[in-house]
Amino acid sequence: MEFELNPEQVQLQDSVRRFVEKQYDFEARRRLVRGDSGQSGAGFAAAHWATFAELGWLAIGLPEEHGGFGGSAVEQAIILEEFGRGLVVEPFLPVAVLAAQVLAAIGAEGKVADLLADIGTGEARPVLAHGEVDAGGEIAFVETTATPTPTGWSLSGRKVLVVGAPFATHYLVSARTSGAPGDEAGISLFLVEPEDAGLERIDLRLSDSSRAAEIVLHDAELPADRLIGAEGGAFGAIAAAHAHATTLICAEAIGVMDRALWVTRDYLKTRQQFGQPIGNFQALQHRMADMVIELELSRAQVFGALASLNGTAIARDHAVSSAKVQIGRAAKFIGGNAIQLHGGIGITEEYVIGHYYKRLMMIDNAYGNVAYHLARMSKLAAAVA
Amino acid sequence: MNFDFDPADEIFRQEVRSFIRDALPADIRERNLRNYHANRADTRAWTAIVHRRGWSAPNWPVDKGGTGWSAMQQFIFDEENFAAGAPLLETGGLKMIGPVIYTFGTPEQHERFNLPFLRGEISWGQGFSEPGAGSDLAGLTTRAERQGDDYVINGHKIWTTNAHYANWLYLLVRTDPTQKQRGISLILVPADAPGVTIRPIIDIGEGHSLNEMFFDDVRVPVGNLVGEENKGWTYAKFLLDRERAFSAEVPRNKRNFALLKQIARHTRRAGRPLIEDAAFAARLAQLESDLDALTWMTLRALARQGDATWELPVGSILKVRGTELQQKIGEMHIEALGDRGAYVYPEPDFATGEHHWPPGPDYAPGLLADALYRRAVTIYGGSNEIQRTIIAKQYLGL
Repeated sequence: MEFELNPEQVQLQDSVRRFVEKQYDFEARRRLVRGDSGQSGAGFAAAHWATFAELGWLAIGLPEEHGGFGGSAVEQAIILEEFGRGLVVEPFLPVAVLAAQVLAAIGAEGKVADLLADIGTGEARPVLAHGEVDAGGEIAFVETTATPTPTGWSLSGRKVLVVGAPFATHYLVSARTSGAPGDEAGISLFLVEPEDAGLERIDLRLSDSSRAAEIVLHDAELPADRLIGAEGGAFGAIAAAHAHATTLICAEAIGVMDRALWVTRDYLKTRQQFGQPIGNFQALQHRMADMVIELELSRAQVFGALASLNGTAIARDHAVSSAKVQIGRAAKFIGGNAIQLHGGIGITEEYVIGHYYKRLMMIDNAYGNVAYHLARMSKLAAAVA
Repeated sequence: MNFDFDPADEIFRQEVRSFIRDALPADIRERNLRNYHANRADTRAWTAIVHRRGWSAPNWPVDKGGTGWSAMQQFIFDEENFAAGAPLLETGGLKMIGPVIYTFGTPEQHERFNLPFLRGEISWGQGFSEPGAGSDLAGLTTRAERQGDDYVINGHKIWTTNAHYANWLYLLVRTDPTQKQRGISLILVPADAPGVTIRPIIDIGEGHSLNEMFFDDVRVPVGNLVGEENKGWTYAKFLLDRERAFSAEVPRNKRNFALLKQIARHTRRAGRPLIEDAAFAARLAQLESDLDALTWMTLRALARQGDATWELPVGSILKVRGTELQQKIGEMHIEALGDRGAYVYPEPDFATGEHHWPPGPDYAPGLLADALYRRAVTIYGGSNEIQRTIIAKQYLGL
């Protein structure tokens, strides 16, 4: 067992850190999310995406036979932790992790294989359109339906919080071809393109100023070859991809929390009240110590989740849930206290700390919140008992 | 990064497991699976058994009579012992005074104390804390004055675990009253020396593990000093750092968590197994997440054992959360027992095994005594508030 980065991983970390420091200082980020950076659009810079492709970051988690570098989730975790420090808004995780993992797990052949390879080069940005409003994080709760037509399929339903959708080239839409919401069997995956008829995209600005959309399918007609993978058999791939994405958003949270903690620590050393730096006060010192503890236990849990990704589905999901419980709690504790210890300045839009908090709140809610993952841990424990 | 367990460690685990299965006497196992304080007779007997296998000093180097095991092997050994109900090998001798003696003491002291200790023939009592020196340990006032070839010791020590079983005591004493940390020495005292009085302190769980000790003109030869005079503080601190990876007591937490799950499966609420109660199950899952986090953090610390360049105050972090988890699990044990969580199940008589227990499930006796004693763990070894201050000052520079 080895917890330290190898030389190649250190190099990767350095290169991502340099990108964040150069391209993502707070003011540059504010311009980017407002859409007045001169870049392609609010919340997305084509130049950044080109850099991701050029430096191999988009391909790093892909299997070698699909143009990837055979790296693992560990390399992606390194990238996301650094992205977390800069609150990077481009949809790296939805595209290069979630969608890529779904495609890899579903069995990449033919056009799916091409799409995977195109993720690596930056030419394609598919996103998974899976979550639904009444699912509450439950992966098998799919109400969207796909019914057969003489020429293919007709899709009907609504997908929420499709992060990165405004910049996506493809949507991987899950829909039920049999069974009832909550059944693992009967979920199928369809390749949908933005120009397809019957599709409505409602663009959204999220609390951290990243971009997403709701995608409504109004009896959207698709040709038969848009079904990818086996009919009714997509659950396993979606669940595996969720495990990856959950683990990696936890890795991102480490970067966000680490920055929030040290920014706060620097503030405590400079802010004077009662004639001394407020960091002299023990009540504040002990709060900071608890933040360090939460951060380091979160880091430990990310190791556990990363280690589980190649294991059995039950062991994997148990470890991932266990990690997400820790990260969800830590995110709110560290984010909330980072604001509290700053005092009034902490809640202002023009100061950085509140933006870390917003991202942390979103991370807690993403891919199932603490309550969801506690319940899933109980369910999985009962399944093996 | 590589999170695979070394296959050699898995083989080692099986070897330890099968040794314990064959060697651990059933009565010792049964007593120790209940969470009453371990009886020293059991600890000594088990030490002697383990010694015959050459394993009674898992954390010592081979040339000192130890196993030379890696940190990971030591952790595995602890896990297997705890899970099987083996008594803990005596911590004070193994992790504190033994290594101090072979690192800073003389070869004669090693022969005289450490080798018999490994055979289970010496039990140690630790005299550090005093009524006026708890968190501020360096404020201790027990004096050792040089008179000819002797030290004469006067003072009052408290919270000594198992002093009533000890034949030797190791004390931090003041040899230079003009200095604070730099006026403290480490000295060895026979527990039966004239002038030593040991009195029991009964804890709120009605158990007797703690004691106070009075020293009234106790005379020991200067040869009982360990290392140099006035260096005792440095020696004690050196050792605390060495054991930081073990601070979360993961093996104990694992066993007690497994016990909690077992109780929750057997206990019924409104006729249904408690474990099926969603609110209880969610809290159980929260504890398991805490335990997972501590386990991975411990594994990381084991991998970096001995790496002085690692700035993270990992011992403090593990100590704070590991002890808090012990308390939470203990409280949940009592909660899971329901109405019978209030019953007192007195400790059985050690010699006869006789006990007078009220009705209740087989796992009930010992749980209350242990849950109550666990209140001590966030206090001893540097209280959790002291640990937080260490994190804030030494790591964050506040």
